Amino acid sequence: MSTAPRLSTPVLRSLRIFSRRAVYWGQRSCYHSYEHPQPPPFPPAESAILSAALSHVPNHGFTSTALKLGAQDAGYLDVSTNLLPRGVFDLVNYHLVTQRLALRHAVQFPAEGQPGRPGVGAKVRALTLARLRANGPILHRWQEALAIMAQPSYVPASLAELARLADEIWFLAGDTTVDFNWYTKRASLSAIYSASEVYMTQDTSANYVETEQFLDTRLADVMRMGSMLSGVGQWVDYTGHSAVNVLRSKGVRI
Amino acid sequence: MSAAQAPRSLFGGQICREARRRAARCPHRSFSSTTRYTQQQPPPSRNPQDAPGTTHFGFETVPESAKEQKVAGVFSSVAGSYDAMNDFMSLGIHRLWKDHFVRNLNPGRNPLTSSPSSPQGWNILDIAGGTGDIAFRMLDHASTINNDAHTKVTVADINPDMLAEGRKRALATPYARSPRLNFIEANAEKLDMIPDNSVDLYTVAFGIRNFTHKDVALREAYRVLKPGGVFACLEFSKVNNALFDTVYKRWSFSAIPLIGQLVAGDRDSYQYLVESIERFPSQTEFRDMIKDAGFLVPGQGWEDLSLGIAAIHKGVKPAAPK
Repeated sequence: MSTAPRLSTPVLRSLRIFSRRAVYWGQRSCYHSYEHPQPPPFPPAESAILSAALSHVPNHGFTSTALKLGAQDAGYLDVSTNLLPRGVFDLVNYHLVTQRLALRHAVQFPAEGQPGRPGVGAKVRALTLARLRANGPILHRWQEALAIMAQPSYVPASLAELARLADEIWFLAGDTTVDFNWYTKRASLSAIYSASEVYMTQDTSANYVETEQFLDTRLADVMRMGSMLSGVGQWVDYTGHSAVNVLRSKGVRI
Repeated sequence: MSAAQAPRSLFGGQICREARRRAARCPHRSFSSTTRYTQQQPPPSRNPQDAPGTTHFGFETVPESAKEQKVAGVFSSVAGSYDAMNDFMSLGIHRLWKDHFVRNLNPGRNPLTSSPSSPQGWNILDIAGGTGDIAFRMLDHASTINNDAHTKVTVADINPDMLAEGRKRALATPYARSPRLNFIEANAEKLDMIPDNSVDLYTVAFGIRNFTHKDVALREAYRVLKPGGVFACLEFSKVNNALFDTVYKRWSFSAIPLIGQLVAGDRDSYQYLVESIERFPSQTEFRDMIKDAGFLVPGQGWEDLSLGIAAIHKGVKPAAPK
């Protein structure tokens, strides 16, 4: 009995230390609050430089040149880009975070109880599509951003941001699951979103119709996979119970 | 006495003194405290101001007025063998740290990608950079990476012997007689010859540890920097892994003074070096000092090198008045 708290304390402490380290200005809000306004995701100076730099991305790409030009536009010097410890990845991250946060204002659904209210699935589709379209203006530079995100030192941060995006989409779609589905939904949406994003960089169709089709196919795949998995589950459950009952009828004490 | 005998007798004398002290185990602590002694003795309290008007010099408490001269004495005596000693003590890693420091700052304005109306080149002030280690790297980076032939570096050091060493070394570089490099003798706490808001980048590599008033030096840095200018500091710091820290402490307190004695013939200066490293504030404390001087710090405020043996601290002077 008494060993349990003694064991748990160092574990808790290390967890607490870990979570404190994980707290970073950009990711301070780790839950959705209805009462408190979200703090701004970036400090003012960083925000000024990065938002100005983002407007240079279509011409200069996700490069330190865009950052330097952004710093000059914001009234800073070339050297002030040292304010961004991860350099160009901070620029990519800024785009990811601001577009994720913009999603809640970009897509509006009819209020509760009104006719024509879409289901959760349709909402997820609409939100994912809206997020993909937000990459449109810098799409010709997006492969550079994907390459930066794939650099080993930035992979954990990029995956965390992808997970936050999937969580945001399911939250805005009004998903309220509390079972294991919570994980599978987010994991499958993350996979679908990143696949569609890569597909979109090659998409030359008008208004990204092909990306839309690609996304629909992937969502349908997951739906089919889900129903298949649940079918397999039902079959295993039924066969297991029957086997046990057959054995019981033979007098085996189970 | 012949020249060959001199170092040996010095070495012998040191051992005798060491043995005598070990036998006596007196509580008195001299500047040339021995290796064994420092390991047995926990470092004195971290508060540097034990009494008003005093500061620390290694583990010693000295009057503020004396620290400057004592530090000057240390660096005058090591100036000649500075590079060789750095290589021995850090196993050559100090070069990697300095390269990384300069590469990350990315000095120089590329004329191909910047607008022609903007001023050319950066104005860099390298404090405590007597031997020019950082300055030459900055100029090389600006010229070869950013094709910038205008970036200027002013090397300031309080110690004329270190500056002489730097001037001597500059002759082997393309910058010896160019207006891009100049040396001035200055105290980092009173940079009167540098006007306000005139510097793009203020660097101090392995120097701020020796300053008598670090906060005054930080405020002076804030004054000379342009709005948006960057304060960058490369300095020894605290190792954050307990196991590695034990190994590192043993190396620094046993090996470094010994190497100093054998290679540079000067144990005391290197004993001071390791003690001053031990006394320097931790990463978070120093980050807070930078913040207190008015700077914005990027991210967490520092970057650890080699598990925290050294750390790069940066601060950006805000462009709009706060």
